[in-house]
Amino acid sequence: MRRKFITLTAAAVAAALMLAGCSGSSGGGTGGDGDKAFKVIAFTSGNQTPIGAWWVKAVTAKADELGWDLTMIQGDFDFQKMNPAVESAIGQGADVILDGYTDVSSIGSIVTAAKDAGIPIFAVDSGTEANDAFALNITANQQGIVDETLGALDDQLGGLKGKTIMVIGHDPHAGIRMRAGLAADDLAAAGATLAGGAIQKVTSPATGRTEALALVSDFLTANPGGLDGVWVGWDDAALGAAQAVTEAGADAKVTGVDATSEAIGGIEAGGAFLATVEQPWPSILDSVMTAVQAYQKDGTLPSSNFEAVDTTLVDKANAATITPSDKLK
Amino acid sequence: MNMTTTSNPVLEDSADIRTTPRRSVGQMLLSSGTVLALIALIIFFFAMRPDVFLSFTNVKNILYQVAILAIIAGAQTIVMVVGDFDLSVAATSSLAGAVAASLMLGGMPIPLAILVALAVGLLIGLANGLLIAYVNLSAFVATLATLTSVTGLAFIVTQGTTLFNLPAGFNALGQGKFLEIPLPVFIAIAISLILWFVLKYTTLGRRWYATGGNVEVSRLSGVNVRRARLLAFTIAGLVSAIGGILLTARLGSASAVQGDDNLLFSVAAVFLGMTIVRSGAANIVGTMVGVAIIGVMSNGLNILGVNAYVQQVVTGLIIIAAVTLSSLKTRSR
Repeated sequence: MRRKFITLTAAAVAAALMLAGCSGSSGGGTGGDGDKAFKVIAFTSGNQTPIGAWWVKAVTAKADELGWDLTMIQGDFDFQKMNPAVESAIGQGADVILDGYTDVSSIGSIVTAAKDAGIPIFAVDSGTEANDAFALNITANQQGIVDETLGALDDQLGGLKGKTIMVIGHDPHAGIRMRAGLAADDLAAAGATLAGGAIQKVTSPATGRTEALALVSDFLTANPGGLDGVWVGWDDAALGAAQAVTEAGADAKVTGVDATSEAIGGIEAGGAFLATVEQPWPSILDSVMTAVQAYQKDGTLPSSNFEAVDTTLVDKANAATITPSDKLK
Repeated sequence: MNMTTTSNPVLEDSADIRTTPRRSVGQMLLSSGTVLALIALIIFFFAMRPDVFLSFTNVKNILYQVAILAIIAGAQTIVMVVGDFDLSVAATSSLAGAVAASLMLGGMPIPLAILVALAVGLLIGLANGLLIAYVNLSAFVATLATLTSVTGLAFIVTQGTTLFNLPAGFNALGQGKFLEIPLPVFIAIAISLILWFVLKYTTLGRRWYATGGNVEVSRLSGVNVRRARLLAFTIAGLVSAIGGILLTARLGSASAVQGDDNLLFSVAAVFLGMTIVRSGAANIVGTMVGVAIIGVMSNGLNILGVNAYVQQVVTGLIIIAAVTLSSLKTRSR
């Protein structure tokens, strides 16, 4: 009995020592150590969206190309699942963390864990304003998106003054919330009337199209001919709005954001869908990766932690030349 | 399964409430509270927008908006009649729509793609039924698990994207009109009538109600309870698939989660409907009243420009009110 106990204890001690030896590797704070592979944790909550899925593939391919030791964590919009997984990976040690399309407001615990471990976070579209959480966050210029889409409506309607425009937003998405607010302010400043008196809110992105369809249908039923345009914060809901306009036989024009295949198809068809916006995700990711490689080389961090890049308005004139966001390679 | 037609008046027919003698005003109010709520909502919104609310265009609009919910709520009604519930109805509908879209985009003829999608719904319902009736899992656990897996399958089928450019002939199912009324309205009415007939006039419906009333007594009375539950879930899966295919045709596209809100609203509609019959059992007539309340409320609040978040709060409060009504009725019996 005593021999068995001693044997078991010895085995347990040996296992503990082995585990301790395994977990002693890699820490944050520098741009990687000579022979060891550069260790990267990448996470996204939006992997079930077309752009999020593209980001996962693109980051994985880049990591393979550069010989990084990549841990990819896909959160399915479930922060309760994703955040602990990322924190656990941070506990194992890493050189860099990559955040794809996950707003800073949802990853407070990850930011704290990364700071404690001295690991910088490089992000794509993870906040609409500068934030110390990131060594770098590059996103699209929200004001630019609004200027382009409202400009398209302005041109089409012969001015915005006196026109009735519905703005459809979705508050939980930081980018959509910000640009919907900017659009509402700019419309008011241009002398347009907000349909319904305020930004119309879609409660769930999953049902955005049907919600927008109902919102616009009901408004047009109550106010036949009372809508000149619909500004929508993202294409899926914009497609629902355009369908409602078409079904009502109204003349209103609709703009969206994202440049999905379906939206581009709608624009090319010449119906109610007037324009959308292409956000240059591949070049944004390239810029982020370049910054990560500079950090890997000698520990250099970007001079600015936030960058908002210009976007491209997609209308009938250039729709055929745009790569849809859901077809990115 | 024997489908002999027999009448099932106490459980299914709300009209019997009116012929029941010696009922207090309080009892009557409890019994007809949901119908009164619907009437009150209609009067309120009509008073607020008399020029719009009861116009042909708007009534058509409401019917169009609730047609698919009515079908999925019909599916939910069947399983709630047998005393269970199905958390996977909305996910099943999304998967069926996605399968149909994917197959059509792959070149499969429309009727065949629809048949395969219906088969997918039927199989999911069958799986639910087997797990619940024969493996004895609780409906909550089994349908929650199915919901999870089916949602994953829908993401696999759609590859996380929105499938579109569907054949015009298919889209016409959801966007076409007959006598200026959208086709999904007719389909929803037809399905509701069939379900109503099955529940009210067939042996199968009687067995479902008996099973929902008391499983043990039903079993001792010779009802094959397992088979009854299996059939209820299987048919619910099939009906959910019809709803999902129509939603895809209505939108002209399919995504993995596009019908998600139909789960909450279908359960709400059935609960609302349970208050209109004396027994407090799920029933199609009541469910359609519940669907109408949800549709009228959403449309009316939209017309009045009420914020979507407030609409959600009001929907929740109405569900609470309905369940409270049911509970008060149960106590008063």
